[in-house]
Amino acid sequence: MPPLWLAVAILIPFALVAVPIAYVAVNAIEAGPSGILRDLIRPYTLNLLVNTLVLAVSVTILAGVIGTAAAWCTERCDLPGRRWWRLATSLPLAMPAYVSSFAWSSLGPAFQEMRGAILILTLYSVPLVYLPICAALRSLDPSFEDVARSLGHGRWRSFWRVVLPQISPALGGAALLVASHMLAEFGALSFLRVETFTTAIFEKYTGEFNNSAAALLAGVLMLICLPVAFGEAAFRKRRRFSRIPRGSARAVSLIPLGRLKPLVVFGFVTLTLLAFFVPLATLGFWLWDGTSTGQGIGRVVPALLNSVGYALPGAVVTTLLAVPLVVATTQFRGRLAAWSDRLPYLVHGLPGITVALAAVAVAITWVPAIYQTVLLVMLVYAVLYLPLAQSAVRASAELVPRELEDVARSLGKPPFMAFVLATLPNLAPGIGAALALVALQLMRELTAMLLLAPAGVVTLSTEFWSYTSDRAYGAAAPFAAALVLISGVPVYIFTMKTLSSR
Amino acid sequence: MFTLDRRTMLRGGSALGATALLAGLGRRANAATETLTLYNGQHRSTTEALVAAFTKATGVQVTVRNAESPELASQLVEEGARSPADLFYSEQSPPIASLQEKGLLGKIDETTLKTIPAKFSAKDGTWIGGTVRTRMITYNKKLVADADLPKSILDFGTPALKGRFGYVKGDGFQEQVMAIVVIKGRDAALTWLKGLVAYGRSYNGNRIASTAVENGEIAMALSNNYYWYSLAREKGADKLNSAVYSFPGNDAGNIFNVSAAGMLKSSKNQAAAQRFLAFLVSKPGQEAMIDTTAEYPVLSGLTSPFHLPPLTNFQAAVTPADMGSASEAYALMREAGMI
Repeated sequence: MPPLWLAVAILIPFALVAVPIAYVAVNAIEAGPSGILRDLIRPYTLNLLVNTLVLAVSVTILAGVIGTAAAWCTERCDLPGRRWWRLATSLPLAMPAYVSSFAWSSLGPAFQEMRGAILILTLYSVPLVYLPICAALRSLDPSFEDVARSLGHGRWRSFWRVVLPQISPALGGAALLVASHMLAEFGALSFLRVETFTTAIFEKYTGEFNNSAAALLAGVLMLICLPVAFGEAAFRKRRRFSRIPRGSARAVSLIPLGRLKPLVVFGFVTLTLLAFFVPLATLGFWLWDGTSTGQGIGRVVPALLNSVGYALPGAVVTTLLAVPLVVATTQFRGRLAAWSDRLPYLVHGLPGITVALAAVAVAITWVPAIYQTVLLVMLVYAVLYLPLAQSAVRASAELVPRELEDVARSLGKPPFMAFVLATLPNLAPGIGAALALVALQLMRELTAMLLLAPAGVVTLSTEFWSYTSDRAYGAAAPFAAALVLISGVPVYIFTMKTLSSR
Repeated sequence: MFTLDRRTMLRGGSALGATALLAGLGRRANAATETLTLYNGQHRSTTEALVAAFTKATGVQVTVRNAESPELASQLVEEGARSPADLFYSEQSPPIASLQEKGLLGKIDETTLKTIPAKFSAKDGTWIGGTVRTRMITYNKKLVADADLPKSILDFGTPALKGRFGYVKGDGFQEQVMAIVVIKGRDAALTWLKGLVAYGRSYNGNRIASTAVENGEIAMALSNNYYWYSLAREKGADKLNSAVYSFPGNDAGNIFNVSAAGMLKSSKNQAAAQRFLAFLVSKPGQEAMIDTTAEYPVLSGLTSPFHLPPLTNFQAAVTPADMGSASEAYALMREAGMI
């Protein structure tokens, strides 16, 4: 059982995440099940369901395979310029999905519809798999592999039998993140002419003005997310890995790529070009081509400051709430801990508009003082992005032996102090990564910002949205470029943090 | 470099709390002076110009919250009677009509309503048109010869145009469906919708569809006029591959729709809100807006600086008020398997 302080600490995120779930439930009951059944069991909705699943499964598998292969190459093989490829493979994280999908879709119909969506969203998702797998590969103790090799297993066999099982928690966590993200994706898909379940939810809000029916569909989306969220947990629960983190693993010897080398290098060049430089070039084209270029340029700096000013505290709040969730499940057991840890993933699969409207309904009724203030935005941010922080922190927490805290407690430290002294320092790399990753996502968040921030706050993402709505791409481009540039900072920190956690 | 100790975390947390507190205090302080809160879904530059002119003329400050109209409508429904908003300016009439149906809007002053033709406003006087646009067909000049342009909106539901056109299931589309229902009847509308599903290509937004036409991905698209006109302004009309046209004669496809504003019944600044709505349809208010967007003024006697064709070519048989929140259009679209 977790100690009291931890139980209290996990109740806060639990309560926050319960808000949208309760909102969805209450509205769903209001709409009544008969209407929704009629609505759901139609060829059109079933088709959407198929689209949603095809997209989520394809992108997750492709990003999983590419991300793992890329991580293997930069961490374990004698790829020339490995340092640079590490950074280059992480770089697409700085490119918001709605910018890259807009850029790609403008290249022609071949990059639209499901085919295009799978390509573009896979490119976007690869770093989300690549980075945790790199970190996991680095933290492995190569002596396990040595044992396998000494028992006569070849490289491939020891990869399947020894390496893969050890990196599977990281892979599972990353896959879950990608899958739940795909369920909620909307902005990028609308440029690509793909309709998914989330599109249907938006239609309920935007076309029929039926908040209850929309909430009901959102409930169905959460149900789809349910097996994903708990499946990953069940998959991970069977394994436990820990070792004393720092300095105990010896350096690995690199695997020669041999004749494959040019092919692998070509693969990396293509990946980087497609995922980062094609969208970047499109932004440049807008700047050069548009007549609105220069409009609103004076707002770039204030918008940038606001973006950072919201993203940083938001990242701190989110990470602060995520740490107890992760610690409760990795270091202790219990049903409350397990549920508190999983619920955020369900909500992560919800469209932003549903979560934002839940916040509207609850805040204005129960805590009107915080309505449309910075504080509410921070809380909604936490609800939306807890899983990102959880995954990052978990990567570190998995490696902390439970016994460490027991030792501290047996030396007479109270539970909270034992945590602070023994476990927390070991979580530092994960916390750093969580802060960077969440800050990155928050800088491009739009819906909660528009509906819930104090009126008149402009950020890079609101300005980009505003100008692209008016088709002023030339004017929009500097804001997108600033967003990509400033996103480079957390991407760099995140990459360095993840890749230096040896 | 990222080791966070407990103290740093605490410091961050209390700083955050203080910020929130200040923000809260700020809000209360604002309420004391005469400030209107406007939820705006209309194009931002248009509303900015209007608000600037209003504040200059009256001294009343306006706080604007910008987002997509339907999302703001959803938000206003959730906020209910506690809404901080005094006014809502919607890009299309259906979102504001949905608030009208839920009884969230107050009645606009009679003198304001009488300033403009009744066809641009709600029948019960709870919302009023701000600007007018027309439904038009955007076409790619290289892919369609002028002589081959369809003569009626109903042609788009026939196999002759298979694979030649795109449509968008929102943002002006419901109004189009309703117009066909009113003029040609429900069956004709259903046949038309089924034809669209069978022969057309669905796009997720008018902007995306008109860009597809411009890029030659598709020959034609059912759209609102201002998407093409704003593209023309961005790139220069002579440089474009696409153009717009409306149907000859009194076709059911020649309809107009409006951007519309209304006052929330729960507003505590009703007098100032009424002043704003009066200003919206006044000469200075209208002039401020039509300079920024390729939309028609609702007030007669003014001319748009964009070279728009005269509005008289367009159907007056169906008005935005007839369409309401266009929920009937949704039932039909569902029956046609479109949504």
